[in-house]
Amino acid sequence: MIRIEPDAWRDMVAHAQATYPHECCGAMLGSITDEKTVRIALPLENAYTGERGSRYELRPEDLLRADREARSRGLDVIGIYHSHPDCDAYFSETDLKNSCPWYSFVVLSIRNGAFHHANSWLPDAEQTKAEREELTY
Amino acid sequence: MAKVLIPTPLRQYAGKQDSVELSGSTVGEVLNALTTQHPDLRRQLYNDQGKLRSFVNVYLNDEDIRYLEKDATPVKDGDTVSIVPSIAGGSVAAPPEPAVAELSKDEVLRYSRHLIMPEVGAEGQLKLKAAKVLLVGTGGLGAPLGLYLAAAGVGRIGLVDFDVVDFTNLQRQVIHGTSDVGRKKLDSAADRMHEINPFVRIDKHEVALSSENALGILKDYDIVVDGTDNFPTRYLVNDACVLLGKPNVYGSIFRFEGQATVFAYEGGPCYRCLYPEPPPPGLVPSCAEGGVLGILPGTIGLIQATETVKLILGIGAPLVGRLLLYDALAMRFRELKLRKNPECPVCGDHPTVTKLIDYEQFCGILKPVTTEGDIDPTEVKAKIDRGDSFVLIDVREPHEYQICSIPTAQLIPLGQLPQRLDELDRDIEIVAHCKSGMRSARAVDILTKAGFHARNMKGGILAWSDRVDPTVPKY
Repeated sequence: MIRIEPDAWRDMVAHAQATYPHECCGAMLGSITDEKTVRIALPLENAYTGERGSRYELRPEDLLRADREARSRGLDVIGIYHSHPDCDAYFSETDLKNSCPWYSFVVLSIRNGAFHHANSWLPDAEQTKAEREELTY
Repeated sequence: MAKVLIPTPLRQYAGKQDSVELSGSTVGEVLNALTTQHPDLRRQLYNDQGKLRSFVNVYLNDEDIRYLEKDATPVKDGDTVSIVPSIAGGSVAAPPEPAVAELSKDEVLRYSRHLIMPEVGAEGQLKLKAAKVLLVGTGGLGAPLGLYLAAAGVGRIGLVDFDVVDFTNLQRQVIHGTSDVGRKKLDSAADRMHEINPFVRIDKHEVALSSENALGILKDYDIVVDGTDNFPTRYLVNDACVLLGKPNVYGSIFRFEGQATVFAYEGGPCYRCLYPEPPPPGLVPSCAEGGVLGILPGTIGLIQATETVKLILGIGAPLVGRLLLYDALAMRFRELKLRKNPECPVCGDHPTVTKLIDYEQFCGILKPVTTEGDIDPTEVKAKIDRGDSFVLIDVREPHEYQICSIPTAQLIPLGQLPQRLDELDRDIEIVAHCKSGMRSARAVDILTKAGFHARNMKGGILAWSDRVDPTVPKY
């Protein structure tokens, strides 16, 4: 179960809509107690060098920066978000093959430039499947 | 002491700590200390083969250790080691195909010398544009392949490589330039290819091709071009191509000679029909050990590129069932007839290999070469300085010895060692070295069996240059 606080959620949706028709990506900073709570959405650059309408790539350096940012605020990086322009918020084969089992992966579906729906996913260590995680915002 | 920062999700395996202070002189030692102290972390970070998982990057302060000295990167007091995952993704499993219905005005201009040949024409150029070709390796063979296939307008080109450009590459890997040294080969190659032809889509696969990932990567392509330099990957590419029914455009090079053919194409033979068994490890030297004429991979890579384009266009007589042999010194091409072997374990009538196997094991490559009794170059230096009684032998070839050598080392090339044992004293310890430690490991084996007390200098003269005397040139 992952809960995204209103400010963070507003920032994520705004980021995903602003980068449309390209995919956006970023880190979710928050804390894990009984449930995961996202307090801050940190937009990061989509570093994929090809067509960014259907792909994204996070630079490890940016993730390292996000981790420092989180630690300095007494928070942790607990997940990654990205958008799927004009298609559903599923966890694609490409998402799975480039995932990491340590984080929640929130996917935002953006249709015609506007937010449509979102899902959160938990990939396994072997990158063979991802389970859906309950998401509230 | 170095500080290792533990990412949140892994803290449960590290006693809930967000960082751990550990001692160790290299990143490898620090990580080893970490996973010894917290064994549950090991499974999170390493796969069953003991390699870091594909999504795990390790940073020392702000630098990825892959671009430093990897595991051997030295660690100072107060350094910070971070574990950072690599993450990417996208909405589609295979990114959208380029529209192939027609050529734009710019493309007509660009490809005009193709278009005016009836064998290619607009129809052929559209086939090239719709084609998906995977290049395994962006080294000697991959360089001309990448340049010319991009120029020819192959619509989608996948590149598989995980290496970075090195000065020793530039003598033949013409897709990379001097200013690219230190960059990822994938980035360097892709930039150059896009510069030649921005209409081409390039997929970068920054992985070592393995039994776990090969089918997933190869399945999206029509043709696979093998530009690798080692037997395990060659068998892996071959078997994956046979299992997926994709042609494997093969090339190989050694010193002044090369080979090329097309395997696994419509009933033709495969690599295993030609070579059912790999050679014993160490018998066939790699380019790094045996050398290669810099131009040779150009010639062979372009034969592979030509065959690739012919297969896409469906013109001419493909190099199927024929092994083309090229001898640069004699400047002669010969052809051997190849037949499909009905008993072939992978493409024969009753295949026994029906999924990918462990190719390192198949090729007899033991994961870590025996390290017991190995001696570090710094320890050898200390022995020399102390005046310890021992003999240092260099088992490389005389021309390598001329490039660089270690003072006090006695040259006995590996091939002559069995005949020259009587020059050595059984009562004095022998330390053997070569370029990187492979040949000297075999020398130690020979010496030990003959009753000598011998040890292998780890990492050879390359490690000596790194850790003892940086004035010794690397080659």
